[in-house]
Amino acid sequence: MADYEVSRVIDVRGEVCPVPDVETKRAIKGAKDGEILKVLVDYPLSVERIPESVKKLGSEVLEVKKNGGSDWEIYVKVKKQ
Amino acid sequence: MIFSGFLIGLIFGALLQRSRMCFNSAFRDVLLFKDNYLLKMALLAVAVQMVLVHLLAQMGLIALAPSGLNWVANIVGAYIFGLGMVLAGGCASGVTYRAGEGLTTAWFAAIFYGGTAYAMRNGGVFSGVWKWFQGFGVAPFQYFDQTTGEGFSRLYLQKAGQTLPSIFGVNPWIVVVICVGLILWYVFGTQTSERESKIELKTAAVLLGAVGAFAWYFSELVGRNYGLGITGGWSNIWSVWLSGKPFSWDGLSVFGIVVGAAISAVMAKEFKLRMPRNPITYVQVMGGGIVMGFGATIAGG
Repeated sequence: MADYEVSRVIDVRGEVCPVPDVETKRAIKGAKDGEILKVLVDYPLSVERIPESVKKLGSEVLEVKKNGGSDWEIYVKVKKQ
Repeated sequence: MIFSGFLIGLIFGALLQRSRMCFNSAFRDVLLFKDNYLLKMALLAVAVQMVLVHLLAQMGLIALAPSGLNWVANIVGAYIFGLGMVLAGGCASGVTYRAGEGLTTAWFAAIFYGGTAYAMRNGGVFSGVWKWFQGFGVAPFQYFDQTTGEGFSRLYLQKAGQTLPSIFGVNPWIVVVICVGLILWYVFGTQTSERESKIELKTAAVLLGAVGAFAWYFSELVGRNYGLGITGGWSNIWSVWLSGKPFSWDGLSVFGIVVGAAISAVMAKEFKLRMPRNPITYVQVMGGGIVMGFGATIAGG
């Protein structure tokens, strides 16, 4: 795994859909072009959905990393036109 | 044979866990995110179950027993139930399988949901409201004559709630063909949102629908003319816990769903005791659970 220069961490562990999804979208909207966000999530359904929402917003998913157990880190590169 | 409820529940719970199925999320995804993935899965499962259940009834293996039609109670109760499930973080089956995945908020939602449903039907809190709504019920329909066996349809119990076929006076299969046709057109004829998933949408839907239909068959064997029911199941678990009543088929099936989802989550390394960082969420889901139990009981399901 490459090291990313994460500018913001969104910790939505313990939250169920749609909270992680909505929080991620909100963070992307409030971020600047090129920023890298790290989303901490422990809900499997959200892990499947967040990458799709990120793509819809035109941003890029750099990596979805599973940390054993039911914990994931999703790295998102914000892209703005 | 009552343990078939537990086995069906186990399989259903594991399927729900893998497929992430939840009606609440399904509708919300479509309305808020323009994502139709789960709704398509849910509708396809409904279509599969619809065909299979009518086939089972046609073969005489089960008798359909729709509960009494009550426009007022069904609509008002369903609306209240909808508000409740948003607060509780999932529909009835959604909350149940998430409880098995280790979501602690779902435990509280389920406890209050089942407790309220049990209380309302057993002279406890809000039981007067439930009785009042019962007054709007439409008289049951006689599907065939007991002595001659002749009548509208033999797919149903002799006397049961009104259905679309009985209201419109058409063969039940016509309604099945129309509904299934519309669903198939929607599922296969329109664009599907993409999603990474553990089980493919169609596979999951067919399996869920089939298990749902088998539930009718196995519960018929213990004299229960119904499919999987979550509210009744939680309510039964409460009656076991509080009043020492025996487990019913649906009580065991709900228990099975929780255990099945837990096993499936552990196997997929997705089990975790999840706790929200904001403790207010607990208050929200408990309130949501009460509202769900209230709405479900009024609606009659």
